[in-house]
Amino acid sequence: MKRLNRIALPATLGSLFLFLMVAPFFLPLYWIHIFILIFIWASIATAWSYMARFGVISLGHGAILGIGTYVTALLFNFFGISPLLGMIIGGVIAVVFFAGIGYFCFRFGVIGHYFAVTTLVQAMIVYLLIMYFRDFTGGSLGLTLNPRGTNPLFFQFEDKIYFYFISIVFLGLTFYVWKRIQKSKIQRAMAAIENDEAAAESIGIPIVKYKTIVTAISSFFTAIGGVIYAQYMMTLNPDVLSSVGASLDIAFKAILGGMYTLWGPFIGTTLIIGLEEYFRVVHGATLIGWSVAAYGVVIIVLVIFFPQGLHGTIKSVFGKRVQRTIK
Amino acid sequence: MLQVEGVSAGYGKFNILNNISIKVESGTTVIMVGSNGAGKSTLLKTIAGVVKPAGGEIYFEGARIDGKAPHQIVELGIAFVPEGGRIFPDLSVYENLKMGSYTSRARREFQTTLQEVFELFPLLEKRKKQVSGSLSGGERQMLSIARALMSKPKLIMLDEPSSGLAPKIVTHVFEFIETIKAQGYSILMVEQNVLKAVDLADYAYLLSTGNLVYQGKKEEFLQNPEIKVSYLGI
Amino acid sequence: MVNLILNGLANGILYGGGLALLAVGMNLIFGVLNVIHLAYGQCVMVALYAVYVFAVLLHIPIFISCLLAVAVSALLALLIHVSVVKPLLKAPLINQLLALAGVIIVLENLILATFGSDYVGLQISFPVFSIADIFVKVSSLIPFFVGIITLILIWMFLTRTYTGLAIKAVVQDREMADLVGVKTDRIYLLTFVIGGVLAGIVAACFAPIYTVHPHFGAGFTLTAFVIVVLGGLGNLVGGSVAAFLIGIVSQVAGVIFSSEIGEILVYTIFILFILFRPQGLLGVKVRT
Repeated sequence: MKRLNRIALPATLGSLFLFLMVAPFFLPLYWIHIFILIFIWASIATAWSYMARFGVISLGHGAILGIGTYVTALLFNFFGISPLLGMIIGGVIAVVFFAGIGYFCFRFGVIGHYFAVTTLVQAMIVYLLIMYFRDFTGGSLGLTLNPRGTNPLFFQFEDKIYFYFISIVFLGLTFYVWKRIQKSKIQRAMAAIENDEAAAESIGIPIVKYKTIVTAISSFFTAIGGVIYAQYMMTLNPDVLSSVGASLDIAFKAILGGMYTLWGPFIGTTLIIGLEEYFRVVHGATLIGWSVAAYGVVIIVLVIFFPQGLHGTIKSVFGKRVQRTIK
Repeated sequence: MLQVEGVSAGYGKFNILNNISIKVESGTTVIMVGSNGAGKSTLLKTIAGVVKPAGGEIYFEGARIDGKAPHQIVELGIAFVPEGGRIFPDLSVYENLKMGSYTSRARREFQTTLQEVFELFPLLEKRKKQVSGSLSGGERQMLSIARALMSKPKLIMLDEPSSGLAPKIVTHVFEFIETIKAQGYSILMVEQNVLKAVDLADYAYLLSTGNLVYQGKKEEFLQNPEIKVSYLGI
Repeated sequence: MVNLILNGLANGILYGGGLALLAVGMNLIFGVLNVIHLAYGQCVMVALYAVYVFAVLLHIPIFISCLLAVAVSALLALLIHVSVVKPLLKAPLINQLLALAGVIIVLENLILATFGSDYVGLQISFPVFSIADIFVKVSSLIPFFVGIITLILIWMFLTRTYTGLAIKAVVQDREMADLVGVKTDRIYLLTFVIGGVLAGIVAACFAPIYTVHPHFGAGFTLTAFVIVVLGGLGNLVGGSVAAFLIGIVSQVAGVIFSSEIGEILVYTIFILFILFRPQGLLGVKVRT
């Protein structure tokens, strides 16, 4: 089994990688579109999991998406500032807002349920602000970016293939950051915290600082991911980006795949987007409502029966197998 | 009355108790001593139904009780006073006692039992409307034991009743327990304060890292040289 | 301007009555089961549709329709508890929240599939009368008075009955409640169903005021939880007071500025409270 793993795993990954590199040149547009969506949302889900795997559950990542994308879009539409610069600004503002409130929460011991609800409230606040300033943001009608044709300096491309490679590189970047956090002292510190928070604190582990750092990193990459999505779609819609539903959706994707593993969020995103498209394309036209309700039931069933997410469950099943052969 | 045979139990993958067998005869007071982590609390929790045993059997008045839910164990007549007393902090003294009589068997006789308990612990009657979170440590322990009595138990289990209390209060607590013993209740008590506990006991067990190391009647216990040195500090 | 504010005030107090009931349900469910009922608002929505079905489609007298809707709501709560909440009682927080988010999706879309997305209303008009220059709608008086009566009944249940006392005990110390003989499984079920009954009563109160659509109710859940925190977990009196305050603040701010500002104000107050005064106005310490 182990020898198989040595060859099989890298071989599969390698051929998958090759396929993905070549695919956009011969796949139909619809499929490229789906892949782009998967890559972007998987990056955001992975970024979400930076916090979640340390027990800091956010149900408000929609707030980050909202701030990041709208600041960037407004700076571009009204002041002509390139989104390449705008997304840094938007990202920083999102980090200050989200990780800032997060810092105070960690400092005052707001955790678990209460922290999750606080993040939900943050998402609502951003959504309401977007609605209130509808004269600038377009409110629920959405905001369209001024088209500039294919213009890399302004992060606009008419050809999907550019976004395909941008998003896949970004996904790789989020994976790289995941690995870096995994290897850093934050990982070991967080493991200690999970074990016994009071003991960890007493030996000097700066819990608040580490939680805030992880939250900031997560926020930043989420914001960037959001901007990539906005630039790809060329429109911003608050219900897709900045709503409670969007926040929950990100969490779904990470958890259903397995929020403690590297590939978990990616697997979860593929599954969710796959399911969404399936229900929409195959059943959607005739069964409005029923198909989405069925999707909801699937979610519930998956959560009850696969509490570690799909990848997590697979890993633990294989883990057991390895143990048995050792005996 | 209570018979524990070969019980192993723990939390998760590791067993804290290994193959423990103890017995409590009707009307007697049995104590279990041993250092921290020896598994004494775990045994009480296993009997009370909070922890499921990994192996072994528990019998109460001839019937098997291991694996039953805590509320069933209470109905059968075993009351558990956990460490720290654990009164319901936002309920009044009266309400705590009322909760003690929750089981259907005890509820029928709530008023009579209440009067009996008030006679034993007049302080509780005086304070019956007070919110129990504001009671002192010793008073809480008293309330906790009284609450256990409200369930009309046949066996009372006490987990470190003296823990966290000042020496003078500890003496009071042991006086309550004496009173209860005199009423004829069977008592199974876990204690770290060996000297005081052994005084009350008819029979004693010594646990060390999950294993039963020694057992005997009070007099033998006190005579054992090893115990005298390690646990009684004599 | 002053009239506007007074109107907002009056309506806020009345709206607060309905909110108070929701908050009580949320409070009990969170306190006893340690679960945040994310789909609570949607349960109110379903009950509102039930009132519509009974009263408008089946022409059953309005009062009986409301009673039937309460029964429907209780049944829905039973169903949700048994199929979703109970299996996940020991699961990690995020799994519970996700499963309930799934329930939201199921409820919203089943209603959407059955009734379409048009707004649906009771089509009953109630009289409006005025005191001085304030217009008070009778339809707003109903939630207020029904709310007060229900709150009193709940309070009596919790303090005078054995089961009510058991619920309070479970909130304070679950394991100890087990140890005095409380059948905690039954208490969980009972509490969740009581939550359902309360949602049904709220729906009955709101039926004459609101027109309902499948996405109705999402805002209620969050507002209810905000009230629970502001009032102090486990503190029903505090929760009721907080409900009225929230009702007033959001209505008055909504009148002066805009409804969005009203909501933002409520949420900002929530964040401030949770950081600096988590025990709420009157409650007990809630830090884990």
